[in-house]
Amino acid sequence: MKTTKQDKVGIALFLLPGVTLFLAFFIFPVIYVAGVSLTEWTGFTKASFVGIDNYIKIFKDPVFNRSIINNIVWALVAGFIQVPIAALVAILLSFKPKGWKIFRTVYFFPQVISGIALATLWAAIFNAEYGLLNGILELVGLSGLTRNWLGTLESAFPSVLLYWVLYIGYFMVIIFADVQGISEEYYEAAEIDGASRFMQSLYITLPLAKGSIVTCMTLAMINGIRQFEQVYMLTNGGPGNRTSVMVLYLYKEMQAFSYGTSSAAAVVLIFVGSLIILGLNKTLGKETH
Amino acid sequence: MVKGSKDFKLISVIGNILKWFFLIFLFVYALFPLIWLTISSLKTNAEFMASPFSLPETWQWGNYVKALTVSGIARMMFNSVVISIAATLLNVLITSMSAYAVSRFEFKGNNLLQMMFSAGVLVPLNALMVPYFILITRLNLDNTMLGLILVYTAIGIPISTFITTGFMKSIPRELEESAVIDGANFYVRFKSVILPLSRIGIVTAGTFQFLTCWNEFVYANLLTSSPEVRTVQLGIRYFTNQFSTDYVSMYAAIVISIVPSIVAYMLFQNQIISGLTSGAVKG
Repeated sequence: MKTTKQDKVGIALFLLPGVTLFLAFFIFPVIYVAGVSLTEWTGFTKASFVGIDNYIKIFKDPVFNRSIINNIVWALVAGFIQVPIAALVAILLSFKPKGWKIFRTVYFFPQVISGIALATLWAAIFNAEYGLLNGILELVGLSGLTRNWLGTLESAFPSVLLYWVLYIGYFMVIIFADVQGISEEYYEAAEIDGASRFMQSLYITLPLAKGSIVTCMTLAMINGIRQFEQVYMLTNGGPGNRTSVMVLYLYKEMQAFSYGTSSAAAVVLIFVGSLIILGLNKTLGKETH
Repeated sequence: MVKGSKDFKLISVIGNILKWFFLIFLFVYALFPLIWLTISSLKTNAEFMASPFSLPETWQWGNYVKALTVSGIARMMFNSVVISIAATLLNVLITSMSAYAVSRFEFKGNNLLQMMFSAGVLVPLNALMVPYFILITRLNLDNTMLGLILVYTAIGIPISTFITTGFMKSIPRELEESAVIDGANFYVRFKSVILPLSRIGIVTAGTFQFLTCWNEFVYANLLTSSPEVRTVQLGIRYFTNQFSTDYVSMYAAIVISIVPSIVAYMLFQNQIISGLTSGAVKG
């Protein structure tokens, strides 16, 4: 079908709003934040150029260093623990055991609830006096393990970090769909060769679903880098800044009217995120079946 | 030989038990905290403090009445509904227009545009607080519903465009060609051929967009301050102060805030699953 002159006008008109918003909210802000990161600016006065001073400042700040480390741990846990669990469940459900649809529905449940509501719920679960977690521990006779989960230096970050790891519904559904798309013929051939289901999963399913697994790892690790609500709601970075993350850091800097350092932290975050995406796709590749 | 197959059987029985234990554990993990929250919201505070497991003596529906009056959650729900629906409608309108252009026509830069839109999924938007704040205040849209509607419409553009483009690409060329022969121009073909045929894709994109808007916190927190424009998610942040030690009423308020998400999920579950399965979020 030939594109007529009238079509060309239509295409331009139809692209205009989408492209404008994309430029205004995705491209421009990234450039802008990079620019602000090189200035000292309170948001009211005139910004003054300070070169890389803000970067030096934040990298000298132990709270920011702690935040980067926390985010990297978070990303690694998301990519290399959460996603593999999701892949395992996807493969188990792909054999269509009894009630697999109900499992799929329920696993997805927590993903439709807002991060802030879930965090409030988990604040109640972790609560030292009336919380569910301590209640369960006492019930099974492990009252020695009860503690103020979010208020203790050692347990605060693991608590904030780990409760969502088993919420695998989102990634599970994506990988499940990919596993479903694998042709039966591969399995039939393996069946004839006498390969067990376990071997089939290992040598057929996993390699052929690699595309969606790598995609999920990328998405999961980006999630780990851009965390905010959970930490903000559960600990606000405490105790002793142990649970701080980069977005919380840049939020607090911004609230303190230090737009320059806040923007520098944002640039570091975007840089770390890009490194993760590039690194993951370089090492694991992206080809799909 | 016989012994070997016995061992094998034992392994597969153990494997089976482990499998079910694992699946059921994750099932309970996903569901139980929510049930616990709901039951707690129907207890008295004394009952709740006494034991996290007990059932309420009498179901305290009054907690929900208190939740509604203390928190002002009705107003927040109204704001969230207006903002989410407006941002969803705008978003699917804008993205189905873009998707029509990139999926049905060949022009210079088309591939680049599609790549750009999909790469947008990976941009860590939470890092862009300073630029979003400046942009919205310069437009004089800070502390307004319109400002949030604009931001929410924009942040969903990559994913919605991606989902809708995928659906539109699968519509056969012939259908559009016969419309051309009938004299239908660019706009008529969009309205009466492409839009109706990609309805499922648009509903999928819309469902994701609605959930994103309803659950969004970071920018509601940054860009609004007065109670008149407060959304539900932002409201939850203030619950701890408002309810003080009245935990059970606070849980009732949280349950109320979750219900719309659950209802949307129940109604559009197939769309959500098919949206994820159509490779929608593959970058």
